[in-house]
Amino acid sequence: MAWQAPAVRAVAGPPRAAVTTWLGWAALAGALLWSYRGTAADIGAVLGPEGLAQMAAYGRRLFPPDLSAPLLREVAIGASETFAISFLGTLLAVLIAFGLVFFASANLAFAGLLFEMERPVVRGLRLLLYGTARGLLNLLRTVPELVWAILFVFMVGLGPFPGVLALGVHTAGVLGKLFAEVLENVDPRPIEALQGTGARRLQVLAYGILPQVLPHFVSYSLYRWEVNIRVAAIMGFVGAGGLGQRIHIAISLFLEHQLLTLVLAIYALVTAVDALSALLRRRLL
Amino acid sequence: MYQAEGLTKVFPGEIRAVDGLDLKIGAGERVAFIGPSGAGKTTLFRLLNCTLKPTAGRLWVGGREVAHLHGAALRAARRRIGTIYQQHNLVPRLPVIHNVLAGRLGTWSTTRALLSLARPVEVEEAHRALQQVGIPEKLYARTDELSGGQQQRVAIARALLQDPDIILADEPVSSVDPTLAAGIVHLLTDISRATGKTLVVNLHSVDLALATFPRIIGLRDGRVLFDLAPAAVRDETLAALYRGAPATGPAEGALDAPLDPATSCRPLPRV
Amino acid sequence: MPPLTRPPVAVPFPGSRPSRFARVFALLFGLTAAASWWAARVDLPTLFSREAFRNALVFVADGFPPALSPTFLFFLIRPALETVQISLLGTAVALVIGFPLGILATASLAHAGPLHELDLSGRPVRRLLRFMPYGLSRALLSLFRSVPELVWALVFVRATGLGPFPGVLAIGVAYGGILGKVYSEIFEAVDPRPLEALQATGASRWGVFWYGMVPQAFPHLVSYTLYRWECAIRASAILGFVGAGGIGQQIEISMRMFNFGEVVTLIGLLVLMVAGTDALSLRLRRRVL
Repeated sequence: MAWQAPAVRAVAGPPRAAVTTWLGWAALAGALLWSYRGTAADIGAVLGPEGLAQMAAYGRRLFPPDLSAPLLREVAIGASETFAISFLGTLLAVLIAFGLVFFASANLAFAGLLFEMERPVVRGLRLLLYGTARGLLNLLRTVPELVWAILFVFMVGLGPFPGVLALGVHTAGVLGKLFAEVLENVDPRPIEALQGTGARRLQVLAYGILPQVLPHFVSYSLYRWEVNIRVAAIMGFVGAGGLGQRIHIAISLFLEHQLLTLVLAIYALVTAVDALSALLRRRLL
Repeated sequence: MYQAEGLTKVFPGEIRAVDGLDLKIGAGERVAFIGPSGAGKTTLFRLLNCTLKPTAGRLWVGGREVAHLHGAALRAARRRIGTIYQQHNLVPRLPVIHNVLAGRLGTWSTTRALLSLARPVEVEEAHRALQQVGIPEKLYARTDELSGGQQQRVAIARALLQDPDIILADEPVSSVDPTLAAGIVHLLTDISRATGKTLVVNLHSVDLALATFPRIIGLRDGRVLFDLAPAAVRDETLAALYRGAPATGPAEGALDAPLDPATSCRPLPRV
Repeated sequence: MPPLTRPPVAVPFPGSRPSRFARVFALLFGLTAAASWWAARVDLPTLFSREAFRNALVFVADGFPPALSPTFLFFLIRPALETVQISLLGTAVALVIGFPLGILATASLAHAGPLHELDLSGRPVRRLLRFMPYGLSRALLSLFRSVPELVWALVFVRATGLGPFPGVLAIGVAYGGILGKVYSEIFEAVDPRPLEALQATGASRWGVFWYGMVPQAFPHLVSYTLYRWECAIRASAILGFVGAGGIGQQIEISMRMFNFGEVVTLIGLLVLMVAGTDALSLRLRRRVL
């Protein structure tokens, strides 16, 4: 070797991590330990020989799936209900969110360039409107779907319809938040220019804002549809129709063969919706 | 056309972007503002096109005071002022034609505006405006597929369609290359000369300003430093204008920084 | 500038006729909506009937005032803490499941792309061997995340009995599937140039992974995991409905006893916890990104 690395003397070790970093990791470890004890977790029971044997036994009991004609008919009805819940629920959510979100994003409601010249009274009133819309969306979003479902079952009776309403209302809150984020990140420069031509707010919306945000809205709605097909599959647990209702019955009555068929149906349905959503995303955007 | 008395804009944090400015611009005049970045040029233009409300002072456009306008009267005032922005401020996903026709929005009813998105109206006018700026073949192209210089032309076509009394151009050429820049500035002055529209431009390039405009205003720290014919602008005058530039203080870069979408950092909330 | 004298020519607007795809899409969309309307047994008259309104009113009226007695509030501490514990440990289990599977499911690490150009060309058997763990882990991840958490929870309640632990496992498995998929997407999205450079130094695939991929992907991995933790808090509230502990179980019990005052308090508590988690996770994410 002609070339040799120069001898290196006394190189300081890497700088030590800050105390706060160590404290952070320690806190995380402590929290996990605390959770392990608090949830009566027992990895041994699951991964130990006994636990594994038990799970294997349960797995064996699931087979073979029940493929009798009456059950398959049931599954088909359940699957179509679940699909309908997810589809209409998402559609309803998009409608509600679209109606609310333009009041729930600060830059379109009361603040920023669009309102620089506005009178304080008007801005105050619009701020109030903004607060109301935000509060409503937060309420819709934070109450879980299943709680909404129970409320709607109470209102309109058992069946898939309350599932549609519950999913629509809750998802409206989620989409409203996502849509508002998109709106608040919209490029302000075209809006400034359009306003500068003397355009009304509705015209600014149509020419400057919607062309920017609609693709994102579509993308988020599709994403949420993928989530909702999974949620629609469990709506039946509280009496709101779909495959969930049949699963609940199968589990309660120890009908393991039927359970496997139903779970496979969910798997197929979810996979199909994911694929469809991906296809639409590619074609529409 | 314009008259300002003690015009002042203070942003949160006591940043005085425009500071007690007095100004008078007559109808049909062609004026160039120059000055270091942070001098308050962009804020001044936003006051002049009725986007911002002055903190203090008074501003008349065409003999009418505008600081307290709102609603239809405000829109009417804005309609008479066409602005060309540094970053074109076009809607990227929209076809060129809609971006050009957007200049009509101040005149159109909302219904007409919405219908035009489905099936464009006044196509002839849009086409003629694009022809005037030299890119008629781009009528139906998607705006984000155009080059920077072409996009700036679309923005000018939009202003042409608006048919304002005053054209404001805020650094219209800072994002195109120098040869194109001269072309675009000449296009603007030609339009102003041919139609008698007032033209107020904000320019980075001092040479271009001195060569093209009969009146040069030097702006520094939100105040008018000089207001001269180009022949009277001496090297010392310019040296004083740009002394120690970029200007120090809290306003530096925060107010006049080029509106780069990625690093945009401005005192205004996002719209 | 070009001359201004060319006469204007009317150009027809090209986009006025919707494309074939748009028409087919609109038709299918309408049909699907109509079929769903029928399948979901949508019943607007019932929704807007006086009876439904009265029922909703009962629900709301019973919910106010919310139950705020000190005993009840004191009693809530335990389920609230339990929800936090389920979400934390569930996310940890999800990480343990998702990380290794995510690595296996990363195409650019397993078989595709420039890292394998030379190594695998003309060796179909080797390519197949590399592809198998990739395909298997993908299928497993897809199974884990396609079955809803609540169904997993039911299965685990059967296997390990009532209580918070099945909730932990349910979140762990379902979120493990999601994390694994997202991790693999993050790994595949890193800048490939440093990877090529590392490989050119003779580094093994593990070397390339730890020195090239992980440092680039780390902030995104942490950020997404934190986001999932937020979701886990919400999810653990739902899991209680099937007996997997936490606030959800309490909501279920109070609902079944028609004690809507308690339900409102519990939902309020859940809202507070979710908001708190959001804020904490936002701060942590800002630090890593």
